[in-house]
Amino acid sequence: MLLGIIIVITVGAFYLIHLLPGDPAVIILGTGDSPANKARLYAQLGLNKPIYEQYFVWMKNILHGNLGTSFISETPVWTTIKSAIPIDLELMVISQILAFAAAIPLAMRSAKRPDGPLDRMLSAGSFTLLSIPAFIAIVLLVLFIAIDLGVPHTGPSSYVSLGSDWIGNLESLALPSFVLAVGSFVVYYRVLRSDLIATLQEEFITMARSKGISQRRIMWRHALRPSSVALLGTAGVNIGGLLAGGFIVQYLLDIPGLGYTLISAIGYSDYLVVQGIVLVVAVGVILINFVFDFIINIVDPRISRE
Amino acid sequence: MSLTPQLLVVKDLSTTFDTPAGPLAAVGGVSFDLNQNETMGIVGESGSGKTVLARTVMGLQPRSKVTVSGSVLLNGFEVVGASDVEKQKIWGLQVAMIFQDPMTSLNPVMRIGRQIDEILRVRLGMDRHAAKARAIELLELVGIPSPAERYHVFPGQLSGGMRQRVVIATALAGSPQLLLADEPTTGLDVTIQAQILNLLDEIKERMKMSVILVTHDLGVVATRTSRLIVMYAGRIVEMGSTRDVFVNHRMPYTRALLDGSPKVSNPSHTRLLAIPGRPPNLLKLPPGCSFAPRCSFATDRCHKERPELQPANTPGHTFACWNPLPTNRGASA
Repeated sequence: MLLGIIIVITVGAFYLIHLLPGDPAVIILGTGDSPANKARLYAQLGLNKPIYEQYFVWMKNILHGNLGTSFISETPVWTTIKSAIPIDLELMVISQILAFAAAIPLAMRSAKRPDGPLDRMLSAGSFTLLSIPAFIAIVLLVLFIAIDLGVPHTGPSSYVSLGSDWIGNLESLALPSFVLAVGSFVVYYRVLRSDLIATLQEEFITMARSKGISQRRIMWRHALRPSSVALLGTAGVNIGGLLAGGFIVQYLLDIPGLGYTLISAIGYSDYLVVQGIVLVVAVGVILINFVFDFIINIVDPRISRE
Repeated sequence: MSLTPQLLVVKDLSTTFDTPAGPLAAVGGVSFDLNQNETMGIVGESGSGKTVLARTVMGLQPRSKVTVSGSVLLNGFEVVGASDVEKQKIWGLQVAMIFQDPMTSLNPVMRIGRQIDEILRVRLGMDRHAAKARAIELLELVGIPSPAERYHVFPGQLSGGMRQRVVIATALAGSPQLLLADEPTTGLDVTIQAQILNLLDEIKERMKMSVILVTHDLGVVATRTSRLIVMYAGRIVEMGSTRDVFVNHRMPYTRALLDGSPKVSNPSHTRLLAIPGRPPNLLKLPPGCSFAPRCSFATDRCHKERPELQPANTPGHTFACWNPLPTNRGASA
């Protein structure tokens, strides 16, 4: 199945990118060059062959572990991707830690008194956040934090790599992580809140109460786990989405992750880089969902038994 | 009445739920007491308030949309009005409950051993190994085969009867003085019912506990309890020694309940007498006796005025009826 998904995705991406306007030969040679030179370059790059043949050549190379070399930047595609992946992983890890750290305790507070003042406030707040698109949130945050407050490293064009200065690196990723975290938080909070409310009605929660253990322990030990199946499923999809969907944030803030690299590559008709990133993201999304399915089975033993 | 101090004194206890349709009086004006080492039965049809009464006695009613009034003194501790944090001190250690439905009362994603030894570790401060050893002992006590292996299974891997034994083991873990058994065998088939009830009797004697056995099944309480409470529409309608209630009952509802349960002495295929009509809507209780609309002896007064509990001939036997059955009825039966 995994293979099938990957083939469908890469064929689709391969086909779509060839539909796009833009000609790599023009980008490499400039507009003024002779048709003869262009034809020679096409032959050299293999672009004169039919699309399906190009795809098979590409696929064959992939199976040999070779993503090819960009004919625009002339660096191996894998080198480009390898330098971008850690940024995506870092953004993903930081934003997810922030999102879970906020969503779990707040969902618990809400579920404790559904329709209480705190629950109403949080529900209204999360709904507002849910309806603000990321690109508007980013612009507002940049305006507020970087310009009004004058905090360094939060504006665009200030990415610092982890290797060179880890404090600077965290500072430069603080804003994009925060924006991505807010998006995840809203979803996690809402999913967990409603499942917790349902779980707290269960008879086994009354039984847990009858043992005289603290409210806190009931929440964390008895209610959270049976309430987290939908949360984990959502998180799997959402994190996969972050890999592919952090583009806007990366692009607006000049964070050179996969999303940023992909958008630039599309601009240059850099077919091989686009294909490489699509492939890596597809594999990544599938792997993440496998991992989450696995976690769900551990968290709720009823699922694998039934 | 008795020389041993009373473990439990309940006075004028009422539990009212706030529902969208108005206040629902699930339990109204209930008073009774329970001695050390006594087993008392609470019987009534489903919806008569037995379960709510048992939960209110323990203070385990839901936290919101419930009003409780009256008094429940358990070993001198006033349960009514106490916060959850205060009640947590007595829950599990002084009073414990066996829940009705073993399919829903165990946490489905927690290994059963963990559910039993939680109370030992959290409340009694036992270390992990001691708690585990004790939990395995409890599993053995309630008759679960190969308890050391079962310690690690999830509830879904056990049958209903085995799960109910786990529920019992959990309730026993804190060695409570009072055990509230809320229909402990309803979800189980008959042979397992008897096993579980005998097990409860045996453990009760061994651990010197008092037990309140809540059930709709008179057969269950007949031989196991010293006293019985008969409930109808949230109120006590008859209370006395088990013998008095079975033999010298005065309240027509008690007789209807007895007529509605199978007896060994009946020839097989005897048709059981069903009580006509339905239990009253607790949102709209009639002004008089709640049972009057279904009672063949009801008079005008029964419909207008609610009878209070009044003493019968035997000490400790009370009933609430304007038009009681004659006393000699039981003697001739």
